[in-house]
Amino acid sequence: MSLSEPVVAALQDVRFDYPGQTVLAELDLELIRGECFGLLGPNGAGKSTLIKLLCGRLQPASGRILVNGQNPKLSAAARRSMGLVPQQVALYRHLSVLENLIAFAQLSGCRRSAARSAAKQTIRRCGLTSVAQRPVHELSGGWQRRANIACGVVHAPSLLVLDEPTVGVDLPARLEIEHLLAEMASNGMTILLISHDLDQVERLADRVGFLVRGAIEPIGSPAELLKRFFSGRFEWRVMLDQAPEAGVQQLLTDLGLEADPAAGPMHWLGAVHSDQQASQRMRKLEHVAVKEWRVRQPGLDALWRALFDQPGPGMNQPDVSGSSA
Amino acid sequence: MILTVLRIMWLGLWRDRGALVLAFLFPPLLFVVFAEVFSGSTGEGLALNIALADQSQSGFSRQLIDSIETIDGFELSVLDLQGGLPAADDQLSDLVRRGAADAAIWVRAELSSDIDSDAPIVVIGDSSKALALAVVQGRLQGLLQQEFPALNVARAVTLVDILAGPYSPEQQQLLDEVLAEMEAEAATGEAMPEPVNSLIEPRMLQGATGVDDDGGISYYAGAVAILFLLFSAMQGAISLIDERSSGIVDRLLAGPGGAGVVVFGKGLFLNLQGLVQVSLIFALAWWVYGIDWFGKFDLWLVTAVLASANAAWLAMLTASLCATRQQAQTAAAFLVLILSAIGGSMMPRFLMPGWLRELGWLTPNAWAIEAWQGIFWRGQSWSELWLAWLVLGLTALLAMWLSLVLSTRYARA
Repeated sequence: MSLSEPVVAALQDVRFDYPGQTVLAELDLELIRGECFGLLGPNGAGKSTLIKLLCGRLQPASGRILVNGQNPKLSAAARRSMGLVPQQVALYRHLSVLENLIAFAQLSGCRRSAARSAAKQTIRRCGLTSVAQRPVHELSGGWQRRANIACGVVHAPSLLVLDEPTVGVDLPARLEIEHLLAEMASNGMTILLISHDLDQVERLADRVGFLVRGAIEPIGSPAELLKRFFSGRFEWRVMLDQAPEAGVQQLLTDLGLEADPAAGPMHWLGAVHSDQQASQRMRKLEHVAVKEWRVRQPGLDALWRALFDQPGPGMNQPDVSGSSA
Repeated sequence: MILTVLRIMWLGLWRDRGALVLAFLFPPLLFVVFAEVFSGSTGEGLALNIALADQSQSGFSRQLIDSIETIDGFELSVLDLQGGLPAADDQLSDLVRRGAADAAIWVRAELSSDIDSDAPIVVIGDSSKALALAVVQGRLQGLLQQEFPALNVARAVTLVDILAGPYSPEQQQLLDEVLAEMEAEAATGEAMPEPVNSLIEPRMLQGATGVDDDGGISYYAGAVAILFLLFSAMQGAISLIDERSSGIVDRLLAGPGGAGVVVFGKGLFLNLQGLVQVSLIFALAWWVYGIDWFGKFDLWLVTAVLASANAAWLAMLTASLCATRQQAQTAAAFLVLILSAIGGSMMPRFLMPGWLRELGWLTPNAWAIEAWQGIFWRGQSWSELWLAWLVLGLTALLAMWLSLVLSTRYARA
């Protein structure tokens, strides 16, 4: 994927209000051909509204939305060029996988014969051959999710919108689905991925955007964003054998560590610029019962906590000043 | 633990206000409607449209008409025979056959003295409403026994007078005294009324189509058809709610067709499904009971298409209005039961109280049953069926439009 690729979808200065509440304000986003864009944000941030706007279900109060150069609200062709994979397994459970694919291909505008060949092709591409003839309700969660995605791409859309595509799926199945999505993106399909699985987004997304207070900001590749926000700082995690007493707590705080509320009172987080710095600081904890400590590159979870003002970990002060580095 | 389960169930119901209202408001409402509908079958509150023609024009017959007018539950329409039209029989039969009257009373001869005819009063009924004829005959017999107890004796006296020669003045005076005494005793309730069966001749009309059917088959074929059209359409339409919660509708709404395609497609399927159901019922009625299905196929088809469209779109509208499956199931059951009870699918409407009969015209059941019975029993043509078709068609269109509007609203939610 390169930014010189054509724009598949664009939201320009989009504003959308529900009665008494502005959901999206001055929102700008461009999705480039063949990229996987991860859209992140807490519940209620407006991600579902953004999907509905993109699919033409809602009309923005102001601004412009274009999918392949056309307004999806007015153009059936624009909507036909999109595929949506909802969060639920949105399939006809009494139909087989193949029958579902044919049905959704036809509902997306394909003629019957074209729909049939597209369905068969999609089944091969998505690795669904072994379950093609089985009713959906007989399949495991992982296969259902895979079929769910297949129904979203059976009509070969140029833009695929995925809302939590692997929720409730075990790790091997999740990795297989991620592999499938990566392959689709490499074949030129643009993917808008909405997920709370930050590791997954980090693995898949070429670019990531955080929906904060109605706008998508910051936007960038995961590496860029992490560099911009944490500028060479590393996440330093210390795990204690037991909950620390007041004196130990004071010592940990003096070393720049904060309790991680998500992990419990024995987990403390801080920021360091190198392994050596962490090792030096750990010497001051020789008399404290430390179970384990480690230093790692901060991930999107750290950025999430920083952006959405989650209390606790020591990485929640983004080093914005270092963004130009 | 059981209490916890109870609490969870209660909270589920309490927080689904729509389902709560439907679960507790509808049953008593349904009871009231059913009580009104089925109370008619006991004769209480019955409102029969009775046509009457008085061909004898005697004092006795005028007295009889005055008395009939006082019978509870009889809506009497007296035909004007002043124009010298003698064919009262045909006129009355036509009214009954067309369904304009539930039964008819024809006073064809002088009650007390004309003994040449078999019976001076003829009660005409339609075999599809055999109960109406029985009720009219019974009420009339009661009336004659109560208010005209000397009628049979007077007729016997006339017969003896003809066969055995005229009475002497003394005999005549004695007879008059006896008859007057009987009248007086009847008035005080002391007399044991004589049977008056010979005064009334029941006459059951057969269908105009010439098919050997007692009218019940064409009635109940239509009544059951529209009942099951509504039932199965409601069940099918509830899949809209399932598809909403499963995300299928979201997926389809994002496609080129949008909300309209989803709703219209489902409605169309239910319409076609209904058409097949109705075909099966009438095919059986043709095969087993011999109704003239093929002879009237064109008229039947129009009615079947419109009736199933009506049921389909009413069901889609109900599903579009409901937010949860529980709401939709309760609402659907309530609607089907109410419409079928009032509309005559469970009991003929002529047995219902008058206000309920009128209310029945607001249901698709009543119009569909009327149309099918008109076709197969009364032999009606396009020109007589257009009103039923118009009502069924327009209400189907209205329900379709509302369903589409509601689906657009859902898409924007």
